[in-house]
Amino acid sequence: MKIGLEIHVQLPTRSKLFCSCPTTADEPNSSVCPTCLGFPGSRPVLNRRALEMAVQIARFLECRVASEIWFSRKTYFYPDLPKHFQITQYDSPVGVDGSFVVGGRSIGIWRVHVEEDPGRIKRVGRSGEEVSLIDYNRSGIPLVEIVTAPDLTSPDEARNFLNELLVELRHIIGTTASDEQSVRADANISLGEERVEVKNVQGLKNLERALKFEASRQQKLLEAGMRVVRETRRFDEERKVTLSAREKELEEDYGYIGEPDLGVYDLSRISAGLLEVETPLRRAQRMSAHYVVDYDKARQVVLTSMAMADLFEALANAVDPEVAMNWTLGPISANWELLLPRMNDQSTKEIVEVVQLVVGRQITDSEGRRRIGAIAMGECPTDISCAVQDEALGSLINDYLNEHPQVVRDHASNPKAANAVIGHVMKVAKGKYNSQEIVEATRKEIERRTS
Amino acid sequence: MSCSPTPERLIQLNERFRIFCEMAEDLSGLQDYPPRPTFSAKDNLCAMGFQARAGSRILEGYRPPFDATPVWRMRQEGMLLLGKTNMDEFGFGTFSTNSGYDVPRNPFDAGRACGGSSGGAAAATSLLEGHVALGVSTGGSISCPASFCGVLGLTPTYGRVSRYGLIDYGNSLDKVGLMTRDSGSLRTWLPVISGPDPKDPTSCVQPMLDLSPRKVERVAVPLEAMQNLGSGVESSFASALKSLQDDHDILVEEVSMPSLKFALSAYYVLATSEASTNLARYCGMRFGVRNSNISQHFNDFFSETRSANFGTEAKRRILLGTYARMVGFRDRYYMKALAVRQLVISEYKRVLNDHDLVLTPTMPFIAPRFADIEKMRPLEAYQADFLTVPPNLAGLPHLSLPCGYIEGMPVGMQAVAPHWEERALLDIAERWTSKFQMRFPEVAR
Ligand SMILES: [Zn+2]
Repeated sequence: MKIGLEIHVQLPTRSKLFCSCPTTADEPNSSVCPTCLGFPGSRPVLNRRALEMAVQIARFLECRVASEIWFSRKTYFYPDLPKHFQITQYDSPVGVDGSFVVGGRSIGIWRVHVEEDPGRIKRVGRSGEEVSLIDYNRSGIPLVEIVTAPDLTSPDEARNFLNELLVELRHIIGTTASDEQSVRADANISLGEERVEVKNVQGLKNLERALKFEASRQQKLLEAGMRVVRETRRFDEERKVTLSAREKELEEDYGYIGEPDLGVYDLSRISAGLLEVETPLRRAQRMSAHYVVDYDKARQVVLTSMAMADLFEALANAVDPEVAMNWTLGPISANWELLLPRMNDQSTKEIVEVVQLVVGRQITDSEGRRRIGAIAMGECPTDISCAVQDEALGSLINDYLNEHPQVVRDHASNPKAANAVIGHVMKVAKGKYNSQEIVEATRKEIERRTS
Repeated sequence: MSCSPTPERLIQLNERFRIFCEMAEDLSGLQDYPPRPTFSAKDNLCAMGFQARAGSRILEGYRPPFDATPVWRMRQEGMLLLGKTNMDEFGFGTFSTNSGYDVPRNPFDAGRACGGSSGGAAAATSLLEGHVALGVSTGGSISCPASFCGVLGLTPTYGRVSRYGLIDYGNSLDKVGLMTRDSGSLRTWLPVISGPDPKDPTSCVQPMLDLSPRKVERVAVPLEAMQNLGSGVESSFASALKSLQDDHDILVEEVSMPSLKFALSAYYVLATSEASTNLARYCGMRFGVRNSNISQHFNDFFSETRSANFGTEAKRRILLGTYARMVGFRDRYYMKALAVRQLVISEYKRVLNDHDLVLTPTMPFIAPRFADIEKMRPLEAYQADFLTVPPNLAGLPHLSLPCGYIEGMPVGMQAVAPHWEERALLDIAERWTSKFQMRFPEVAR
């Protein structure tokens, strides 16, 4: 079985691809303007952020990224397409010839390009008296289209591929939406000689259903010694079947020409300004290899949150990674909902200290769990940690270090240099702080100054 | 100083010459003191308060919710917008006879055409002293009517003037320009309409408009342009060249520009290809005319609307353009035309390297009679553009200016300057009109 996908993912920009209309709107036809309605005299102005996202995606998929690109007009008549041409990319996609590895198999990526979404059609009314309503809020929303080679071999693999791909893409483009609405796919599937295209399937679940239905339909035909007709089919979400689209079986001729209103864009310049991002699944692979922990556990961590992965790595650098993983998927995961909004350098440090204390048998396992619970609640896990934040103590140490900069300088080669601070503070504060508190706070302050 | 016509006179002139397809309802501004200078906008330029129909029935009733940038900039200067000037439907024509809203008549002889497609704009300029008309050229639609109506027609470099609010014909070719009676007005109004506009990205790559003096000393006349000219045009142009040498001390040199003969075919392929996509949106659904039954399959509804409301020439160009874009023909026509455009640009570059301007007659004949136009086949009409198309295809700034009169009708010559060098055109306009006696039609009350 051969399956190839054309995947359309909405890019979460604030405004549309070629106008300043917001991409979020509730009321139908409330986020529209002359440009995204195709009024005569209006003109497109490119939203560069969308292009940047597409470049990031193409780089991630190891495509060859073009040095410059332009846009094209794809002409066809349909009521949801205001200009009756879609501004897309034809002979200069952002990226070509990439790949994406799923389950150890490399799936070819033929091309990555940017285009505008048409509006949305809604059919209402009883059969025979149907009325079509069109909402142009979606018209002009930026899409990235990713076209794969027909390398996928089963509906399961296709679903898995898309699922993994979306995990990575959502991180790259910065959307948390597990939104079934924001992804659409066209699928080519062939069991025998002829391939069938299933058009415009919305969301992951439907894609898997459509492919499974289509695979078994073709299977039955072939087993019965019949021929699979090369055609375009659509997926009926209600009945969960694919139906012939009854369109003429020629390749549609879109009469592509260049879009003269938009110029040529220098992608090498745009590309140079973009930072490399580490995606969740790649991070799980790296963590698994680097810390020698189970891949599935690493994957569970990154899929929960990249912030949890940050915490895991901080722990794994301080204690045995296996222990770090157990604490991450144990007490930390149990408190994660409360911990997530509190995560910062300070709380990370506190949690690492707690686990270190448990590992060093200075506190018990259950005391360690209790302290993590306390951090999650925003309470002080111990008096000690709270005292560290004491401002009066901080300013005493600060003042002394300001007057005696040599202490900070000498500390690197001789940690005992800090004793001068401790003696001073003990004397001035007249026993208000115990020595452990002062040592801890001094160490932190010196580290801050030298980092 | 200009003397504005009275509202009554304006209405009378419009009845006689069909200049405007829509006139301002309130013309009281004409009686303001001090008098306000007037301007008009070709019907394909959006202006609030007016319909924008681009001469097409399919846009009947369309009122744009915004001003085209050049219109807005003129209004900001206090100019009074008299109306929308008549034109060939979407700019498709050489005589303004393809309008859905009557046909403008030549002010020198109402039995003859104004030229096109900015025919109404040229007629308004010719008839109204001090008037500035905003015209639009895709393949010569400013030069041609300027020549037939005996006025100055300036087409700036592609990208000099924002196209925001211009109803597209061929986006890679369309240019908004000026028609005036005198060179001083060009110098005044060109800077007003020029300059970058974030709403049209293609206007944002231009160097700043520089109108400092650039004296024209040496001009080139391509041999290839001197073929198939009407005899009167040939002799008028020859004596203009002589006057340039004798009276203005300009060196005139013959050159060869063999690629000019390919320009016309390449132009019609590119312009119709783009036009056929631009016109796809007109279907009676979101704006403009709605005169067929919407309760049917959308394909039938679109076809019915388009069949009933596009004119013959619009249909012809949609078919031509769609054909040139089709799989199997795209490489042979559309892609090849793009290559020819590059060839024409480089040929102009070569010649303009050591010449300030390229000079030709503007049109091969004077304004034709309507009866003769009816006998023309479409291809003959297209061929009439063979001198105005090349600079348009190359995006070069050019100017048509009157250089003689035959049978009482004006003859025009066309000067082409290097990209962004509009100042060379102003120089020739100012020097030429300082000695050449321009004529304007006298219309009885
Ligand atoms: Zn919009």
